[in-house]
Amino acid sequence: MRIKSKWLGILLTMGLVLAACSPSSGDETTTTEGEATATTEGSTDTTEGSTDTTEGSTEIATDVGVDLEAGTIDIGLLSDLSGGFAGLVTPIVTGHEVYWESVNADGGIEGLTVNLNIQDTGYVVDNHVQKYEEMKDSVVALGHSTGSPHTVAINDQLQEDGILAIPLTWYSGWTDPALNANLLHHGSSYCVEAQNVIQWLTEQMEDISTIGIVSVGGDYGLDSAAGAVLAAEGLGLEVVVDLAGGISDEASILAAADQIAEASPDLVWMTLIPSITSALFGQALANGYQGIWAGAGPSFSPAFVAPDSPIKDAVTASMYFGFYLEGWTGTSAGTEAAKELLLGAGRDIAPFDYYLEGVLEAEMMHQILQAAYDAGDMTQAGVLKAAKAFEDMGFDGLGPNESFVGDPNAQLQRETWVMKPDPDGLVAGTSGGAAIAEAAYVGSLVEAFDFTGACYVLGS
Amino acid sequence: MRGRPLLYTSYQGDQALMNTTPKKILLGLFLLLLVTIPFQLIPSISFMGENDWLKLLSLAAIYAIGALGLNILTGLAGQVSLGHAFFMGLGAYTAAWLGAPPGPLAGLGLPMWIWLPAAGIVASLVGLAVGPTAVRVRGLYLAFVTLGLVFIGEYVWRNWTWLTGGTQSGREFPEFELRIWKEEEPLIDFSSDGSWFGIELTGEAKTYFLMLALLVAFVLFAKNIQRTRVGRAFQSIRDRDIAAEIMGVNEVKYKLQAFAISSFFAGVSGALLASFVGRTIPERWNLFLSVLFIAIVLIGGAGVVTGTLLGASFVILLPRIVEDVTEWLTEYVVEGTGIFVWLADLVVVSGPDDWGIINISQGFGPGLSVALFNQVIYGLLIIGFLIFEPLGLYGIWLRIRNYWKGWPFTY
Repeated sequence: MRIKSKWLGILLTMGLVLAACSPSSGDETTTTEGEATATTEGSTDTTEGSTDTTEGSTEIATDVGVDLEAGTIDIGLLSDLSGGFAGLVTPIVTGHEVYWESVNADGGIEGLTVNLNIQDTGYVVDNHVQKYEEMKDSVVALGHSTGSPHTVAINDQLQEDGILAIPLTWYSGWTDPALNANLLHHGSSYCVEAQNVIQWLTEQMEDISTIGIVSVGGDYGLDSAAGAVLAAEGLGLEVVVDLAGGISDEASILAAADQIAEASPDLVWMTLIPSITSALFGQALANGYQGIWAGAGPSFSPAFVAPDSPIKDAVTASMYFGFYLEGWTGTSAGTEAAKELLLGAGRDIAPFDYYLEGVLEAEMMHQILQAAYDAGDMTQAGVLKAAKAFEDMGFDGLGPNESFVGDPNAQLQRETWVMKPDPDGLVAGTSGGAAIAEAAYVGSLVEAFDFTGACYVLGS
Repeated sequence: MRGRPLLYTSYQGDQALMNTTPKKILLGLFLLLLVTIPFQLIPSISFMGENDWLKLLSLAAIYAIGALGLNILTGLAGQVSLGHAFFMGLGAYTAAWLGAPPGPLAGLGLPMWIWLPAAGIVASLVGLAVGPTAVRVRGLYLAFVTLGLVFIGEYVWRNWTWLTGGTQSGREFPEFELRIWKEEEPLIDFSSDGSWFGIELTGEAKTYFLMLALLVAFVLFAKNIQRTRVGRAFQSIRDRDIAAEIMGVNEVKYKLQAFAISSFFAGVSGALLASFVGRTIPERWNLFLSVLFIAIVLIGGAGVVTGTLLGASFVILLPRIVEDVTEWLTEYVVEGTGIFVWLADLVVVSGPDDWGIINISQGFGPGLSVALFNQVIYGLLIIGFLIFEPLGLYGIWLRIRNYWKGWPFTY
């Protein structure tokens, strides 16, 4: 037995090393279970019907997650703090925390303190479902739910339980009425983003006639690639490299770099994760490719333009990407206020666009909770109803105004921010490594875009 | 002579599943305890009857079924395999193909009594096909062969989108509903709230009962394999394959059987896991899952059924327990006073300027997150068990049992 155990031990160690090194395991951490940062897990109040508030003026109905006697509101966050997108989601969660700390310090929502129940899903669907189950009887709504397949996995349950969730993914399917009964999409989808950025580039540079499309698999890569194909069709661009969903490991990156260099498209549309972007960009550059690169927001990382980055100059000269809100270089009242909030929070926060996404999501929830309070119904169903009644939700320029009423075309977000790498701003501390090239752009393609369903159907 | 624990007067007595009366009584009581958990009758463990805990317990049962399979292959027959995740995926997608409702993705809408056994059978047939490699190679080399399976599997699952939904998208899996054929209303619905024999039960409780029943069946299966000619042949191959062959044990036949049986367990466990979660992406069936199963077998105690059950419960429930304890400690540090608060404060990070090992708030301060801390604990446990307690949790249990057996004359 001892000998067998020794063998097993060696294997296990090797297995762990291999699992850590394998490209696909980066975003899958089976054993990780999460965290909870709630200051108080307050809500045991399950009384149906009306209760008087402490102020005594309004009658407010509550069920789960709002405790008028204790003066608390509990909101859940299903976040990826240890999986493949932890680098982006952790600052988003910080954005939520900073926002609510400030609201609570100013007296909360009508005297009610907002607590966050943050759970780490590790970007694993199983954990996502389990964590949802754990929090659904203690929170009034979900401040975000990270990941498309993850959110789809809990969608039926959300509808059954009548709980609202803000999806933290920009999948085009969220506009579909068949999916979004309990979801509140925000920002332009990957599909719309691709169409906008590609069209903007063709307007800026007249000599773009061929395009290469490279993307990872899944809703993110394929939804965006579908948008790029729509753009190519609409603008009459010839697709000379089509690797939609074809990028996964080192071998596929090398092959893609060869194809790009060989076909030499005028523009490459990429929907990747930063580690792949830099590898592909560097390899194609080494192979002699000199064209323009553009991509979905999460493809970019400020590390590309850090002072010691070897690809800094090349990236600055040739890369563009889309974004879903104004970002750190924005000057609107909403963005300025959010930046002030973040920098004054006493935390170690350096400029980064994703902190603002967290603030934006928290602001959405703030407006919804206030509306639910004003309507006198802070039950889970009441909060959902309040959210779905917003016809024009504004953020003072932090992000585009959103509508959650009417047919899908009325709800579809069409505005995309086109961003440009900004190495000087990163050094000076005035940007998160990217600056606005064009604000709230809506191209004619997207203007005329008729939403009939998701550009890429999940699980199809 | 009766009642002497280690004295057997017949072969049947020696081979009995439960060889002493206290064992029978204790097992009966333990099963009764498990059955009553959803009704929250016992105050100190009533929290386990909450829906989220019931889900965790069901999950532990599913992992235990899979681990029992690996235990037969690795613990009993001594064939090291890293391919368990592949067979689980195979079972899951067989279940999806047969059981999921027809749609754009593969799905025939067949009832559960077909898809669940089929998941095991298909995995088992593939296991049989892979088995011959185990005859050619052993030890590390076998591990690498089975490791290849995981990668081939991952590649196939990612690209066969009609069946799996494709990378990062995934697909839906059939629900736990018992139908005779394809009728509208299921005969028994294991996943929605409703009443059974006049008792109101949540969907979670029903699923828990289903998993418990399946686990008991698989435990009996595993235990019985151990007691038969097949089980003894497995053990002889494990202890010294050449010696076993000289004694007339057909190595080829039994190695194939070990692979087939183990894959059957894995297939069923995979189908249950996927259906339990409802939606799963192809990346789910990766090396990490295989490693997790090896960890379960190792932490529990290789070759012992009870150990495997202990290991599965431990590995699945530990993260939740660590999380709850950390949360409690943080509250204790923030609110409490006294000498223990100072000790607890060394462990948890309670604010931006505080030092500690575990940090439950992201974005500020030092320390590991609970998820990372859990991984560190796993690592330390595996090293610890390998060095100090190769029999795993079962070994600890044995020592406790033996201490009380001789009490008060234990020395």
